[in-house]
Amino acid sequence: MPTSLYNKLLTPVIIAVLATSLVLLSTYPDISTILGGIALFLIGMEYMENGFKAFSGGILEKVLEKFTNNTPKAISTGFFATAIVQSSSLISIIVISFLSAKLITLTSAVGVVFGSNLGTTATAWLVSVFGLKIKISVYAMPMIVLGILIPLFFKSNSWKGIASIFIGLGIIFLGIGYMKEGFETLKEGIDLAQYAMAGYTGIFVYVLVGSVATVVIQSSSAAMAIIITALATGQIEYTNALALAIGANVGTTVTAILGSLKSNGNSKRLAVAHFIFNIITGIIAIVFIYQLADLVDYLAVYIGIGTENYAMKLALFHTVFNVIGVLAVSPFISMLVKYLKTLFIPKGINRGKPKYLDETVLTLPSTTLSAIIMETKHLYENAFEIISHGLNLKQSNITSSLPLEDVIKDSYSKNTVNIDAFYHQRIKGIYGEIIDFSTKAQSNMSPEDTKILYSLKLANRDLVEAVKDTKHLQKNLIVYSQSTNTYIKKQYNLIRKELAEILRTIHTVSITEEEDTLLILLSKAKVRTEKYDILSNGTLDGLIRESLITNEMATSLMNDSYYAYNISKNLIAMAEIIFTERSTNATSIHEEMAMDDEDIKEILEKKDE
Amino acid sequence: MGIKKFIKNVQQTLGLKDFVIEDKKKSLKSLLKKLNERKKIIKKVLKKPLDIDKEKELNEELDIICLQINKGKKLLHELYLEKNKNKTQ
Repeated sequence: MPTSLYNKLLTPVIIAVLATSLVLLSTYPDISTILGGIALFLIGMEYMENGFKAFSGGILEKVLEKFTNNTPKAISTGFFATAIVQSSSLISIIVISFLSAKLITLTSAVGVVFGSNLGTTATAWLVSVFGLKIKISVYAMPMIVLGILIPLFFKSNSWKGIASIFIGLGIIFLGIGYMKEGFETLKEGIDLAQYAMAGYTGIFVYVLVGSVATVVIQSSSAAMAIIITALATGQIEYTNALALAIGANVGTTVTAILGSLKSNGNSKRLAVAHFIFNIITGIIAIVFIYQLADLVDYLAVYIGIGTENYAMKLALFHTVFNVIGVLAVSPFISMLVKYLKTLFIPKGINRGKPKYLDETVLTLPSTTLSAIIMETKHLYENAFEIISHGLNLKQSNITSSLPLEDVIKDSYSKNTVNIDAFYHQRIKGIYGEIIDFSTKAQSNMSPEDTKILYSLKLANRDLVEAVKDTKHLQKNLIVYSQSTNTYIKKQYNLIRKELAEILRTIHTVSITEEEDTLLILLSKAKVRTEKYDILSNGTLDGLIRESLITNEMATSLMNDSYYAYNISKNLIAMAEIIFTERSTNATSIHEEMAMDDEDIKEILEKKDE
Repeated sequence: MGIKKFIKNVQQTLGLKDFVIEDKKKSLKSLLKKLNERKKIIKKVLKKPLDIDKEKELNEELDIICLQINKGKKLLHELYLEKNKNKTQ
């Protein structure tokens, strides 16, 4: 769930819980203590999440990117990352932004979500193993104090992150302590255990209660903490607690769905995957609840959990049924992904609107850069079409293997294409959005990322300039490429041919996976652009000297060949940035390998020898 | 252990720092291998009788490839130096 939305939902819940606890303070002090404990638990979780965000500083993202290339790896990574970070929502945010930026596949993302679901069971262990045993006043308070003191001595973001984790953990323990205290005192007045229900009726009722409670407090971890504390203090029966745990797992899907409502398609697809996984797991757990309880009893003996230690047995049950869920659903991930891909497809293609600039990717610099690269490629696709049509060429011919002589013979239209209208409909809006998005993204970026962002802005500008130059070139090109003067006609068709070749090269570069092909094609294109500059190669002088073209034609040709030269240069520069940047990290070698002006000069001089 | 050292250790254990250099080295080596293969093929083709335009084009491509190979070798050498520098630190 995106951070902003998560915080938007969580903060009112914390306020509501605190307000209710205040109202109940005089009449029901025990319930008020429990509610206060829940609120503290939620605040603690938020602190921990923020702490890990600051502390990770890119490591978490790198781990997720590196270790998610197959389903078992993705599940394990999701599990470990969530168990360590103690926040499935943080992992979800990263996964959604990775997915939106196409850094991972939907299959990997679904795997991480499954693993993450399993990782949330670590909270139950934390509460049952430490939360109920540690004397809160002894451990929680020093943790909070330490968390407050650290930033006074260490100023780095990593230390601030650690401080936030300490404070969060301390507040969580404090919250558990208050919940435990509240339930213990409550038992002296009201015994909730009297509402225990046996059989499947009880299971269904308690699954429902668990689901509703999780939806209300917006956190399955907090719900599990309440269930374990209530169980440890004897307020609820073991079987009912098992049903409540299943309910918490089901209820958490509603939270994810609510969070994804205003988000993008990827977020919604993952919420559906999460929902399907938890519902199937829930059904399996309900149907086999007694067998699973027996399995837990059996396993508990092996791992040294006492027969009467129901809190730890509940944590074990929570883990066991989630493991079974992963085992049951994982073999069908490819089928699930196939189905998910059919969902939330935007109706109608609006080619003048951005496709990848989603707010969710702004969470991380790496995903932001990837999204901008994708959007620039989208802008390139539109520019490619406009430039082709501006040159009166068919896009399909350029991308085919048709000889270039035939490409220029097969005109796109007898009428002049209105490039200005095309520019306003298909370029200007996207370009503006990219620049706006880049400005927003820049505030959270490191100097290295800002440098990459700057080069991407340049690539966008190159594309826009290429389209604008095509507009200028088009005016004479249409007239002279059909002129009765064969010399000028030949020169303008040569311009069309050269630009068609550049466009074909850029298209090949955009689809090739071979790095050597990419490098050689771009280098050749650079050399060709310089070689066929008619100003420097003497062609224009020859035409004027021999009076083969009029002065007016010569001026037009001189200006237009300069436009053509700029279009080529801009397209090559853009391609070098967006098609050679295979990933947003520093692994790209193309920047260093690209040919510079000196290299081109060297090649051209060799030719002249 | 300081936090910076801790992060450095984690990065080293997971190979997150060196893997940037290693990745670069790996892709550069593979690129050089492919460029050398191309060079061999072009040289072989150039030995056969060709029309002037084709010969010119291939010679130009050969020049570009040779230039790229030289650039790549230089870059690879720099990466080795960088890696050794990291090791000694």
